[in-house]
Amino acid sequence: MILITGISGGLAQRVAQRLLERGEDVVGVDYRESRRLPSDLTNMPIYRASYNKTALEDVFRKHRFDSVLHLGRVASMRVERAKRFDLNVLGTQKLMNLCVTHGVKNLVVLSTFHIYGADPLNHTPIAEDDPIRAGYEFRAIADAIQLDNMATTWIYQHREVRTVVLRPTNVIGPSIQNTISQFIRMEHVPYLAGFDPMMQFIHEEDLGAAVVAALDGDAYGVFNLAGPDVIPWRTALRLAKTKAFPVPTALSRFIVRTFALFPSYLVNFYKYPCVITDALFRKTFGWEPKVGVREAIESAVAKARARRQ
Amino acid sequence: MIHIDEEVSRAIDALPTKVNSFGYDAWGFSPKKAKLVYTLIRRALWSYFRPKIQGIENLPAGRVLIVPNHSGQLPLDAALIALACLLRAEPPRLVRSMVERWFPKLPLINEVLWRGGAVLGDPINCRNLLLDEQAILVFPEGAKGSGKVWFDRYQLQKFGRGFMRLALATQSPIVPCAVVGGEESIVSLYDWKGLAKLLGFPYAPIHPLLPLLGPFAYLPLPVRFHITFGKPMMFEGPHDDDDAVIDEKVAKVKYEVKRLIDEGLAQRKGLFT
Repeated sequence: MILITGISGGLAQRVAQRLLERGEDVVGVDYRESRRLPSDLTNMPIYRASYNKTALEDVFRKHRFDSVLHLGRVASMRVERAKRFDLNVLGTQKLMNLCVTHGVKNLVVLSTFHIYGADPLNHTPIAEDDPIRAGYEFRAIADAIQLDNMATTWIYQHREVRTVVLRPTNVIGPSIQNTISQFIRMEHVPYLAGFDPMMQFIHEEDLGAAVVAALDGDAYGVFNLAGPDVIPWRTALRLAKTKAFPVPTALSRFIVRTFALFPSYLVNFYKYPCVITDALFRKTFGWEPKVGVREAIESAVAKARARRQ
Repeated sequence: MIHIDEEVSRAIDALPTKVNSFGYDAWGFSPKKAKLVYTLIRRALWSYFRPKIQGIENLPAGRVLIVPNHSGQLPLDAALIALACLLRAEPPRLVRSMVERWFPKLPLINEVLWRGGAVLGDPINCRNLLLDEQAILVFPEGAKGSGKVWFDRYQLQKFGRGFMRLALATQSPIVPCAVVGGEESIVSLYDWKGLAKLLGFPYAPIHPLLPLLGPFAYLPLPVRFHITFGKPMMFEGPHDDDDAVIDEKVAKVKYEVKRLIDEGLAQRKGLFT
């Protein structure tokens, strides 16, 4: 039996569908209400529980989980910082403790490549043992860094739970609602004048397959997930068929302050490269991305474009 | 639209393909856009400085570190060496210049650099490109070399050890290189460190004609550049040896660069010929 956190989100649902298709018992949990579930998920038991509250303990008492997929990291700036800390840091700590006390054998934690930070001094490509630079400048990402740190320390402190931490690059796809997906779905998208950094994108289906590969494998550790090709940001905007327009870098700070939902730490990702390598994950788990960048971007923006026309 | 130089275009087409289906490598090099970058270098710099290239046949195939002296306030020497390797080497070589840590923050300039094949001067970038059998251009003097004042012209500054350790770790040959002419193209009498710090520049050269010409003083003089490539040097030994051992090897390269500079200076008949 497998527990998936963040089940209101598109990625968790796609992973649940994958696992149900092959006959696994899957239970979902989310701190949010799970509305508009895909029809094939309606029979799956779903609990609403904040990851840092006792309600989560009860989910573990009701079911015996062999594996836990912690895909529910909260990245949205709609959730205030203190609550993000509670859910991401305290919640992950609670979830990992529950894994130990209830004899869970496999734990997959979904982190993010954002913690590396897009720094002007980044080399290419960035591997798993490279420094985590984002927190140096931006405190809005502190909870994500601590989640990742806790999970990676955990790998070696609790060997009885086989733990895999995944740091995917920009995740996009039709059911993903993260900042970059929403960004490329807009009709007019600003870019920083004089900057066109190299970027990577991983499609939700490829990430779903990677999560399942991590679940099925027997290795543990921290792994990057980079997806297929590396392309400049403006090429990505062209593939998304948006109307891109330049803004001076000096204005970007003002824009970020005005639109509070745009995470401040993401601004540098449109300026400096943060190109990662997933050679280790490919070698360890025999996974490789199947959806090309063009296809991934087109699938992510298709619905939004159709609505506009 | 700028008309792409045919020779540049042919040379870039002849490079081994190391880009993805979108036409980029992981560092942002793009053959298509590099044609524009090198066309501009050819039109603006090559025809202006009329470089005389010697010993380019010394450039070995595969991984190599090109190690020249650095001079002239602006990285004109890097641009001319890169274009020389593209136009004069057989077969054409793309040079990956290791750029100062200051450049990634400059709007537009960073884009031009990456599309033309330059990368941030970082040991991991350098190692990855050498293992990929590419040609690296590295100035071991760094900004200390390019920001030299007139009285120190053609005096090599302290060489870093990083390039030697990378050459040893990746078993790469080093091609010493001398650039003569750069020191006279833009003259600096004084490096105003306070101003440099204020502006966030690596150095702030004060030109002797600044009071007379204002910013126009910084337009480079059309001095002829002499670029000489020496014979490749191979070094043996552990890359993580004591600094003193590495220093001895670095000194051999530095001596060779100095020798090539002195030869070039002796050969030179005049600044503009």
